[in-house]
Amino acid sequence: MVISESRPFLRADGPDKVTGSGRYVADISLTGMAAAKFKYAGMAHGRITKLDLEAARSIPGVYAVLTHKDVPDVRFGAIPDRKLFASDVVRFEGEVVAAVAAIDAATAARAVEAIVVEYEPLPIVDDLEAALDENSPLVHESWADYDADHVVRDRNVASFSSIERGDVEAGMAEADLVVTSRFEADASHAVPIEPRGILAQWEGDRVTIWSSTQVPFQARAGVCETLGLATNKVRIIVPHLGGGFGGKCGFHFEAHVAALARAVRRPVKLVFTREEEFVAPDRRREGMTIDVTSGIRRDGTLVARRGRMLLDNGAYTADADFFPQLAAMHLAGPYKIPNVLIESSLVYTNRQPSGSVRAPTAPQACWALEAHTDELADAVGMDPVAFRRLNAIDSGSVGVVGQTYGEIGLQQCINAAVEEIEYGSDLPPDEAVGVAIGWWPSFPGPSGVYIKIDDDGAGQIITGAQECGTGAVMTIPHIVADELGMQPGDFELIYQDTGAAPYDVGATGSQTLLNNGRAALAGARELARQLKELAAEHLEASTEDIVLQSGEASVVGSPASSVSIVELAAIAADNNLLLAHGSSEVIETPPLVGSTCVGDQGVAAWSAPQFSCHAVRVRLDRDTGVVRVLEVSTAHDSGTIINPLGATGQVEGGVLMGIGQALTEGTRYDEDGRQLNAGLLEYKLQTIADAPTIATRFIEIDTPDAGPHGAKGLAEAPNVATAGAIANAIAKLVGHPIRRLPMTAERVWETL
Amino acid sequence: MTYILTVNGTDYPVDADVTRNLLSVIREVVGLTGTKEGCDDCECGACMVLLDGRPVNSCSYLAVQAQGCAITTIEGLQSDGDLHPLQRHMLESGAVQCGFCTPGMIVSARALLDANPDPDDEDIRIGLSGNLCRCTGYARIIEAVRKTAAGDSG
Ligand code: FES
Ligand code: FES
Repeated sequence: MVISESRPFLRADGPDKVTGSGRYVADISLTGMAAAKFKYAGMAHGRITKLDLEAARSIPGVYAVLTHKDVPDVRFGAIPDRKLFASDVVRFEGEVVAAVAAIDAATAARAVEAIVVEYEPLPIVDDLEAALDENSPLVHESWADYDADHVVRDRNVASFSSIERGDVEAGMAEADLVVTSRFEADASHAVPIEPRGILAQWEGDRVTIWSSTQVPFQARAGVCETLGLATNKVRIIVPHLGGGFGGKCGFHFEAHVAALARAVRRPVKLVFTREEEFVAPDRRREGMTIDVTSGIRRDGTLVARRGRMLLDNGAYTADADFFPQLAAMHLAGPYKIPNVLIESSLVYTNRQPSGSVRAPTAPQACWALEAHTDELADAVGMDPVAFRRLNAIDSGSVGVVGQTYGEIGLQQCINAAVEEIEYGSDLPPDEAVGVAIGWWPSFPGPSGVYIKIDDDGAGQIITGAQECGTGAVMTIPHIVADELGMQPGDFELIYQDTGAAPYDVGATGSQTLLNNGRAALAGARELARQLKELAAEHLEASTEDIVLQSGEASVVGSPASSVSIVELAAIAADNNLLLAHGSSEVIETPPLVGSTCVGDQGVAAWSAPQFSCHAVRVRLDRDTGVVRVLEVSTAHDSGTIINPLGATGQVEGGVLMGIGQALTEGTRYDEDGRQLNAGLLEYKLQTIADAPTIATRFIEIDTPDAGPHGAKGLAEAPNVATAGAIANAIAKLVGHPIRRLPMTAERVWETL
Repeated sequence: MTYILTVNGTDYPVDADVTRNLLSVIREVVGLTGTKEGCDDCECGACMVLLDGRPVNSCSYLAVQAQGCAITTIEGLQSDGDLHPLQRHMLESGAVQCGFCTPGMIVSARALLDANPDPDDEDIRIGLSGNLCRCTGYARIIEAVRKTAAGDSG
């Protein structure tokens, strides 16, 4: 099923967004509302020796100053290593020490200034290799006391995983050539244009929280866990969300604001500055060091790969516990390799916590792997595209953890992307084309919708799914209307409200269409059954003979015998209401076959994997090292494409973010572990002036065990291969890979 | 301090501190929230408004200095409830995702088209280079401006 190209896809939230009538959290005000501000540590590692709130509390207009003493003593996080407020030790500069609510933001800011905190500095852990040393200071002295049996860990290593198959020693011995490479990726950021906002209001023992979160149900769980509340006492509402890219995943500051609002008995609103958005959230894209060695035969066949990866966890484990294994899968890549051993560690440092930023671990690991892959091709004198065609998996191939892939479109993606960019044609001397391939898993999960049609025939879809801009939720009315022979515009969406809708995982893991789409389909089929039964009764026909189309229920073969859905709705309103629900059935994750994984986090064998190939043409200015991306050609297998306009938008946006990661986006730190470029002037996003031409092709395969109508996810997949493709184009121009990400003009120039 | 600001053709009496920026006065005093704050630092363009037709980052402009100017915000683009062609083309071209950059982008594009009714792609890129979008690849935005300039009704 494809949303008709003759009927353009207009997002239901679009008019709100183009007219300015759409409300985001910062746009909402409530009577009596106070403003919140946080006191941050401002230093990377220290023990609090003095915390004096008196001066702050005595400022007129300051309603409350809260610290760890004012909330339950609860640890939270994927590894419970974290509390709402620092009590004893601060472990990164953005750690919250105190929270203020005041009559306005300026007064709250003055109060924050007036809070006196003194620290005994502790040694800073900021080097991934040094952190592994047994004499290294520990980021968490009491790491062993945290309750986290699901991960393999030791001291500064928060989570260790390996993927292992065959015999890597024997494989290397069998190889004709062995190539070793080392790469290093800087941390980076999601940078949604909307800085986060949170507004909390209590009525009795219930709190309503408007939050710019991508995951309202997870945010609710975090509030309940840290403040000791039942789920039905906490309602999270997300108005329009101004982008997330993972940066607004997880549970962040909703509990702080709720605690303030409870203390001051008024609504309290927090709106972040751009600098806070860079420094404070538990969501930075992790820095990484990557060592990879591959053994190949003279004919180019891959026989063995060994890898070692260190991932910068930062000070706390927001949701990064599974990252080591995911990173290992991206260093293995979508290739056929019989002997593999990749070991990967998530390492605590005194930096901002890392977390799920769009396709976590993938752009960095894919960048390193694909640059290494071009080195392998070069070592045997093969064309890099031919090398990939030879070694990349295809339908029926067995991958690195022994998973046998069903019908997949990776080889077709390679063909389409290189054809579109006219790979191999002559180019001016300072231009080159680079190619990279990537993959990404689907994340099956629970999800639900209610669908109803009221007495006038107007429909509502009440879904727990969260729209963060991708258009995934906007596609749901199309899926429902299609099943019911109605129009998408016949339905209004009630969404991103935990008080109204069934559970959903949220705008994370590209899972909305995959899971909520299936729930919507199930709900629509249930409602279709109700409509057909009612129509059968009305038309004196049998239910099986009723078809729903063009707003009518009619008897198959005798179209004159029909009744409109509006009429049926009026009939139902007096009796059995048209009211359905659907939930997504679990899709089983394939088992690991013939491979062993220490610290398995369940992300080594993948359901409905997505594939991509990106080819880029770049130009290098040899005097300055400035690289400009001129053209990108992409091909994606994300299964059936339901909404072509939305899908193309995801690819183009992902590519642009990938260009930023490749060339300009990297966080720099000073010696004291503080971010040096926490602002849009110093942390450069791609502008419209930088944007290249992007061509997108979809290899559409109706994939079983995937989303509705054979669709897979698509929000993260386009953010995997771009940096690798750019690296390979640059390497052709400068003669060797740039081994540090981002590949800034300075770094390129230094190698010339 | 009390003064009058003329926003989208209506005069609003404003009582605000002289140090307040135009963005906060438009949002919090006048009460029009379509204009967004993305950085408060002249870097993102989400706060773009027109002062006598000239695009200005309202986060970095004192509200008092806008006295006597015709201020146009995103809310001032519609006429008689119909979408401005730019708004419609942005929507139909797929140039809107999260929508947070969208009001500023449309306001900048409006200024561009007023100054140059027939821009080529390079003119569009220059005209909108002060507006960051993190969701799209910008191509759909360029397409929307191009279609508006061409008077494309489709
Ligand atoms: S808020 Fe004014 S330029 Fe970003
Ligand atoms: S649409 Fe989200 S920032 Fe432009």
